[in-house]
Amino acid sequence: MIKAYILVRTYVGKLENVLTEMKKLSDVESVAVVTGDYDIIVKAHVDTLEDLMELTDKIQLIDGIKRTTTSVIEKEITL
Amino acid sequence: MRIRKKYLFYFLSLTSAFAYAAAASLDGLISYKYINDPWVLGLSFFLVGIVITFFIVIILSLPIKGKSIGSRIDPSFRRLRLLKKEELGYQLLASMGNAVSTLGYYFVVSMFIDSSVVLSFSQLVIIYLLIIESIAEKNAPTLAEVQSSIIVTFGAMLGSISLSGGINVEALLIVFLIINPAWVLFASYQRKLKLLKIDDRPNDSINIRFWNFLFTTIIISAIIFLINKEIFFKSIDAMHSSFFWLSLGVIITFFSVVLFIRAMGIGKASITQAVRASSIIFTIPFIYILSHVIPNISFVTDPVMLLIKLMGIVLVVLGVISFALTEVRAYVFINAKGGYSIKELMKKIWAIKGVDAVAALAGTYDIIVKIRIRTLGKGYERIIRKLEGIEGIWEFKWQSILKEWEEI
Repeated sequence: MIKAYILVRTYVGKLENVLTEMKKLSDVESVAVVTGDYDIIVKAHVDTLEDLMELTDKIQLIDGIKRTTTSVIEKEITL
Repeated sequence: MRIRKKYLFYFLSLTSAFAYAAAASLDGLISYKYINDPWVLGLSFFLVGIVITFFIVIILSLPIKGKSIGSRIDPSFRRLRLLKKEELGYQLLASMGNAVSTLGYYFVVSMFIDSSVVLSFSQLVIIYLLIIESIAEKNAPTLAEVQSSIIVTFGAMLGSISLSGGINVEALLIVFLIINPAWVLFASYQRKLKLLKIDDRPNDSINIRFWNFLFTTIIISAIIFLINKEIFFKSIDAMHSSFFWLSLGVIITFFSVVLFIRAMGIGKASITQAVRASSIIFTIPFIYILSHVIPNISFVTDPVMLLIKLMGIVLVVLGVISFALTEVRAYVFINAKGGYSIKELMKKIWAIKGVDAVAALAGTYDIIVKIRIRTLGKGYERIIRKLEGIEGIWEFKWQSILKEWEEI
């Protein structure tokens, strides 16, 4: 299992549409609207890097996406 | 389904509270109409319970479209499985707690004529849990949580109190020194079990409930058998004569506890317990129905008592809403200085109270941290100041979460 954070910037006025589309995607663990350098942080879990590329491709194609930065999780500690 | 985790927590806790109110009311009906002796009722409930619980878990293990039926209740559930070595200690402690609090409860009910006033003090278990969490947990309760918990506790006490009974010191001591601490043991270790990872997946509440119920039944049966064999044999008779009603109570209790355990996997034990105290509100329609069946249960009509109950309900609702509204979450992106081990940095960050998750990344940032706290002020005191004190962090960026949806 590969986990990754996809950091997303959107165009002004397109946030709601991007969120609606993102909530439909499979392999997405969480979608958070944030303040700061990014607008949305997506946490994804996929089986292979190929699947991760497909997911980021799908996100890139959503109307309103300005830029995405994907960071693969190497190690995670959670509650 | 992707929803806000907060909603899932309140849905689970409130549904558990509703089922708990239904089960408690059914208990009242069984004790009035079928099994008058509280000890016999208690033991026969456990004896019938273990058979019924086993069959429920077997049914929930059946696969439909590749997924077990039980995965609809807890997505981590696959099938009934044997207990893992790492669970055994926690299960024994949780079962011990469950058995002692149950025996304490039946002792109070059987020894004191009207125990309702005294038993309302069992709501103070929320405060016990808060104290334990303050001492032992990584994520200690904040002032807002303490305030809301106290509001809910006193609300629940007012809502469940009855003016017909008196305060008996001996019974009160049993509640304070036996029932409440034992329940804390039960709730805390069930939560620890839920937070365990089994085969790289979160532990499931259905197996936790099954094994806990099995151990509790063994402990209770053994104690009652050793103390009074007559009760044991009467319970076996009662199992046969009231099988249907006992089974119904077991089924409702099973789902109430499973949802409660699942909620404890999301929130703290004290807050889950506090939200579950809203069962005093759900009890109202059941008491209304029971008042038509059982003559000595009457629906409260005295204006003073109604006012007290109403105040209790308002306090519980206010407390629960205040829990729901006071939560701050954030992501912190961290870049490390060269020459410092990321693994060591992760350990230091993980030790900070309020940190929910730490992940080492390949990409723009070295580490991403998820924060869950009650106020932004705590974010500065507990997180920012601590991060600034960690050698090896070059820079960090705080990104407050405005809204979040999570896969359930």
